[in-house]
Amino acid sequence: MSIELIIFLCMVVTFVAGCFLCKLPVSISMVLSAIIGALVGGYGIPLRHLVEGMFSYVDTILTISTAMIFMKVIQESGCLDALSSGIIKHFHKHTNILLCLIMLVIMFPGMITGSSTAAVLSAGSIMAPVLILMGIPKLETACIISLGGILGMIAPPVNIPAMIIGGGIDIPYVGFELPLALLTFPLAFLFVIMFGRKYVKKLNYEEIKSKLNNEPMEKYGIRLYIPIILAIVLMLINKLVPSFSLGMPLIFLISAIVGLFVGKKINFLKISKDGIQTVLPVLGILMGVGMFIQIMTLTGVRGLIVTSCISLPESLLYIAMSISIPLFGAVSSFGASSVLGVPFLLAFLSQNQIITAASISLIASLGDMMPPTALAGIFAAQIVGIEKYTTVLKKCIIPAIVIIIWAILFIIISPQIAPFIVIK
Amino acid sequence: MKKQYISASILMILIGVICFVSGKNFLSLKDLGPIYPSESLTEVKMLSDYFDDIKGSNVDTEIYVFKGTTNGGKVLILGGTHGNEPSGYLSAITIIENIKVDVGEVFVIPYTNHSGMTHNDPQEASPQYLHIEAKNGLRTFRYGSRASNPIDQWPDPDVYIHASSGQQLSGSETRNINRAYPGKINGTPTEKAAFAITEMIKKEDINLTFDLHEASPEYPVINATVSHEKGMSIAANGMFEIQMKGIEMSLEPSPTNLHGLTHRELGDYTETIPLLMETANASQGRLRGKTNEELALTGKDDCYVKSANLGFLYVPYDEKGHPIEERVARHLQGIQEYIKAYNDEYPNKQIISNNIPTYEELFINAKEEELGGKQLGKFLY
Repeated sequence: MSIELIIFLCMVVTFVAGCFLCKLPVSISMVLSAIIGALVGGYGIPLRHLVEGMFSYVDTILTISTAMIFMKVIQESGCLDALSSGIIKHFHKHTNILLCLIMLVIMFPGMITGSSTAAVLSAGSIMAPVLILMGIPKLETACIISLGGILGMIAPPVNIPAMIIGGGIDIPYVGFELPLALLTFPLAFLFVIMFGRKYVKKLNYEEIKSKLNNEPMEKYGIRLYIPIILAIVLMLINKLVPSFSLGMPLIFLISAIVGLFVGKKINFLKISKDGIQTVLPVLGILMGVGMFIQIMTLTGVRGLIVTSCISLPESLLYIAMSISIPLFGAVSSFGASSVLGVPFLLAFLSQNQIITAASISLIASLGDMMPPTALAGIFAAQIVGIEKYTTVLKKCIIPAIVIIIWAILFIIISPQIAPFIVIK
Repeated sequence: MKKQYISASILMILIGVICFVSGKNFLSLKDLGPIYPSESLTEVKMLSDYFDDIKGSNVDTEIYVFKGTTNGGKVLILGGTHGNEPSGYLSAITIIENIKVDVGEVFVIPYTNHSGMTHNDPQEASPQYLHIEAKNGLRTFRYGSRASNPIDQWPDPDVYIHASSGQQLSGSETRNINRAYPGKINGTPTEKAAFAITEMIKKEDINLTFDLHEASPEYPVINATVSHEKGMSIAANGMFEIQMKGIEMSLEPSPTNLHGLTHRELGDYTETIPLLMETANASQGRLRGKTNEELALTGKDDCYVKSANLGFLYVPYDEKGHPIEERVARHLQGIQEYIKAYNDEYPNKQIISNNIPTYEELFINAKEEELGGKQLGKFLY
């Protein structure tokens, strides 16, 4: 048994013991397992590495924190109630179209920011009450939102995992649009119909009319929507005018501050504290994961995992990719794209590189549904009020398998379809 | 309640100590150590001499200028474009500490992206320092990052859009100077540094530019020279001589659709002929095992041997690894051969220098136990 394998096993055992035996938070268990890994590897307690690893997620932490504050403002101001009743009032007769439109709205922030977290926490949280009011159970709603988030992250125009994977072998991010659109939109519509159709088929507007809260709209009017419109406009400007790049955290904060003046009176300090408190465990997990992966790299465990995956026989490469990339994505889907996505792209060099990179990025997106981080799953569960996010993940197993099969299919037939869908 | 305050206070003190120790360590990375130029040195300029806007910033960097007794052509050597590719800056430093210029002028920038030398990438677990026993004692060199320090430029946008072409890349490339050329006068610090280098090339009328890099062994463009189309004949002639010395090297044309890199943009936007060289560096690879100083200096890595056996690499890889001497020597011999080829093609703009270690002196003649830093140290002060 190699020393790297011993270190890895020690880290895993420490993590499991911390979580399940000592009932410690996931974040603390990750920190402990990183420290144990370093100790077994003969590095003592490498403070520099632990701190450095933690810094990988500073940007993500800022996005999550500010998105949560934005969401709370939208909720408290009455905007969410107004939006939900408005959408249902206007579209209740065309439920399938309504479902697909809602899915597109959920995906939109992910499409322009490349972040599933942004999609789930912004559009996802806005659409959740609409879906629930339409009669879709909380669990299915959470599944729709989390899948919308990860598919939005992969859908064009912005797909960061594809950029990372392509950048690994110097493929410019050109010609990805159509392959990514074909990889994501059909699945998005399939999943939203799969989870929602049977509940909304018999949508009776008169029945749910009484449940809708029309008061904020009557009292404050259309100005309630200003923060959402502002967030969308700023996101678009972010994309279209690179020199005016505000970044997602600032966009969420500006929109949240504007939201204070459009509806019900809000105690900003209180809702900010509430928002941060809600996401604090997730932020802790991200920091713990940063330490964990840094120690894995330091001790050679990362190398062991990567080389073990790619050393499988060619026939098993697809299976190895389907398992290892999402699993590693539990640490970070972007990290998995870089560490495993690039080697797998190299392993499939005989296929069309753009379609293959796009397909691998789709598989990498599943990392955001993998515990312990499972950002898309956790936040979707939180939004609808489900305590155990694992129920959401279980319900998403079949869509995850469909996503993997869809991606592999694209890789296999990529030489044949490339002339038609890769437009440079 | 009282207990909560006590435990909170203890935690706060502990956090304070961790912040202090880590912060001190982080700040110490700004010290890149001294360089001891050869007697042939004419002057040390700063990059800000060519673009005042970066003066006093962390992207400003030293330029070592060596003038021959006779006028001739001008060559620029860029080391440290990427701080995690040590053979790039160690080659530049070896040249600075040994070169004697007879004809023409040689400009050497050891740390092209100075900011990138002052931090390390999270999750990469890179060593912070490389230690080499030199002629006058132990030398300490920094091992940096591929990108500028986030302290100097942060946050990254989601997508990096190359200023002059509109090409889109992952946001993390925003701080990569070799995706920023020809630079932007009012851009990010990284774009400004690239702009300053472009300005320098224009103002000094540099004829030939070398950009020294390393690549992961699984990266397709490796043990290679990438040339702009206007340098292809020089590169082809130089390559012939390099291969005659027993060095495996391939010649790659600069892709016209990949923007921001020296071999594309410096060729398009200035009169210089840009050549980029790559050697094999396991310590930056994705398939590497244990990450430490030894790996950066010796290149010995079981994971890479395994990957080579599986056919995943673009360079031969065995238990001997690819020591720093081999990687630096490839660059040094390459520079000398390409300059000779340039002299043949442009006889009225000769660049003649000597005393740069050859591939044979630095690598072939070394005993196996001296590889991994000791042999290179014999050419450093």
